[in-house]
Amino acid sequence: MRAIIDIALNDLRIFFSQRGNWISLIVLPLAFTAFLGWAMGREFGSTQVRLDVADLDGGPAAAGLINRLAASSDVIILCPHENDADNVCHLDNGETALTTEQGINRVQRGRSDALLVIPAGYGQAVQTGASAQLDYYSLEDPTQPSPILQTVNAVLQKVNSAVVAQQMDMAMLEALVGTDAGSPLADEKTRTAMAASLQEDAQRLLDSQPDLVIFKSTAPMETSSLDQGFGQAIPGMGTLFVMFTVLGGMVTLLRERRQWTLQRLAVAPLRRSQILGGKVLSYFSLGMIQFLVLFGMGAVMGVNLGGAPLALLAVMTAFVLCVTALTFALAPRMKSEQQAGGLSRLLALTLAPLGGAWWPLSITPPFMQTIGHLSPVAWAMDGFQTLIYNGGGLPDVLTEIGVLLAAAGVLFAIGAATFRVGE
Amino acid sequence: MDTMVKLRDLSKTYRRSDGSAVEAVKQINLEIYKGEIFSLLGPNGAGKTTTISMMSGLIAPTGGDAFIGGHSITKEPMAAKRLMGFIPQEVALYPELSARRNLLFFGKMYGMHGSDLNKRVDEVLAFIDLTDRQKDKISTFSGGMKRRVNIGVGLLHRPELLFMDEPTVGIDPQNRRRVLDTVKQLRDEYGMTILYTTHMMEEAQELSDRVGIIDHGELIALGTQGELTQQVREEDQIDFAIDGRGWSSELEARLLQEVPGLTRVAYAPPGHGDDSAGEESLAALTAFAARGRQALPDIIRILNDAGVEVHSVKVREPDLEAVFLALTGRALRD
Repeated sequence: MRAIIDIALNDLRIFFSQRGNWISLIVLPLAFTAFLGWAMGREFGSTQVRLDVADLDGGPAAAGLINRLAASSDVIILCPHENDADNVCHLDNGETALTTEQGINRVQRGRSDALLVIPAGYGQAVQTGASAQLDYYSLEDPTQPSPILQTVNAVLQKVNSAVVAQQMDMAMLEALVGTDAGSPLADEKTRTAMAASLQEDAQRLLDSQPDLVIFKSTAPMETSSLDQGFGQAIPGMGTLFVMFTVLGGMVTLLRERRQWTLQRLAVAPLRRSQILGGKVLSYFSLGMIQFLVLFGMGAVMGVNLGGAPLALLAVMTAFVLCVTALTFALAPRMKSEQQAGGLSRLLALTLAPLGGAWWPLSITPPFMQTIGHLSPVAWAMDGFQTLIYNGGGLPDVLTEIGVLLAAAGVLFAIGAATFRVGE
Repeated sequence: MDTMVKLRDLSKTYRRSDGSAVEAVKQINLEIYKGEIFSLLGPNGAGKTTTISMMSGLIAPTGGDAFIGGHSITKEPMAAKRLMGFIPQEVALYPELSARRNLLFFGKMYGMHGSDLNKRVDEVLAFIDLTDRQKDKISTFSGGMKRRVNIGVGLLHRPELLFMDEPTVGIDPQNRRRVLDTVKQLRDEYGMTILYTTHMMEEAQELSDRVGIIDHGELIALGTQGELTQQVREEDQIDFAIDGRGWSSELEARLLQEVPGLTRVAYAPPGHGDDSAGEESLAALTAFAARGRQALPDIIRILNDAGVEVHSVKVREPDLEAVFLALTGRALRD
């Protein structure tokens, strides 16, 4: 064991003796993570969605509908009504009302997720029980269920139910007291007031009923945009740069063979497993150092990294072991340092985005999510997201850890069988 | 004499990608005795490095075995490796680390630690005369200095046996001389057994107690330099510059009859022989004998008796180049 540690320490000493390695191990990952964490937090790290409302009616019934929509979900932001000082609605000129054309344009430009048009005469239609058509515009996939549309429909359902209840109540009243002269309902003003009162009561009763389905964010209760952005960027950039660093070990192994230091180890009284173990330990250590620096930065910044640090460490360990094993499985097949360098960069730049290191895999189509899980990054990111976003613990990520360790076992077996020093 | 290294049918066959086989080393048998410098001489590609690599445990033989101090390199590699030091042809050092760091690291790989290791590193640095540059990175060293550190690493654990694989390749004459002197010093002062591979006949001749000549993976000759030249029946050549006035065919017959080992003589009158000495008025007499130095006194006595004045004598012994030429029909540098 002492020889393994001595070999690993020597490799680490050589690695850290080169200034460029400090940049690729520490500086670049920190810079990329900081930038992407900030950008993702502002742009799409938040789970809130923007729903534009073009109120062409402008009456109290339309205002009531807007208020009910606003109260229906903490995820949906009604624009421009709920715009704030940070311009969460992304309004170009600080508009306080939108036209249909403006709303459609914003949806097309991605400024908003959907547009609901409340037509002129909506209030009158509600009052008289006449039909009114509300147009809904969105770039959502029509084959997929839309949580925004479902929320809008739930609110409209209640409004419609109140109208129906009012109409039924009025019909019953008319049947009981009649509409002849002398009847209280013979007076039009009284009828209108009665109808309005009944509708208000019905609406109040319906509003007091609990919603069966409410669109809520799955993010932790106190999640901020900082948490959202860095919760993706830290593990994402971590897995990417760990792959750059650890897969780069292929180049170092070939360089050691070229400069004959590996052969010199082979003629020393050391077992092959000790040499291999030392090399594995050095690159595993570099990967872990890189992960710990990035997660450490997150902790210092106050990013919510979940409540299970040991589970985080377990996912990191399983992922770094898997990538280290991949390095040692591939290295014997490399003919030159140039080939090894090219392959390590290609693998890092392919497996990282494929596995959701650059953006959440959940925003990609289902088939991409399936393909993505060919990459160890996807399993690691699943584990990290379960721990960071969903507040999971070790039992929740055992599957991900198991898959990564199983892959590591197979790849280590291949690497150990093909690791050659002298031939 | 005690045996330090014994090779028994040591072989290495490589498989090409097309399935054909290449025999890099073919059933080599030899013994290297304790305290001797044994040179493995052969042209580039002859199989020297493959042989030394198998002996050191770097690559596995496909047939036969090598025994180091009685330990099989295939069955007891750890015991065998503890007895040997290895100095490869390449400068097998970490260029990013200092000379001292390199020595410390490789010392640890041989099980040395703590103050023992530090003390030994100091000794080795002094031996290779690099104490004052010990903290400098290898990448800043000249080629000769790198070679010295390369040798130093091989000496760290005081091995009984040292493998040196063409250690003078690519260095200037001054540093080459230093390496050769070091090799002799290791044998003479420390009693080390040294296996030295080279394709340079002059190095093998200067250093070796015994020589093995290898070509196309086969050990084609083995012995001391004298034994090898005898083996191929090469003769010494004795060149005389003489006053030709007393020369006669009778004198030639007398020389062949009375001088033991003399096989033939050739006479060139003045102006027809080798004028390199600038003595154009002298005749050249060339005599061939199995042992030239033994025959020389008798030849000079007979020439004096006949009144032939001898102006100069030069004895040319056959060298390893001649042996290799005789054995393979090719020059060593072909």
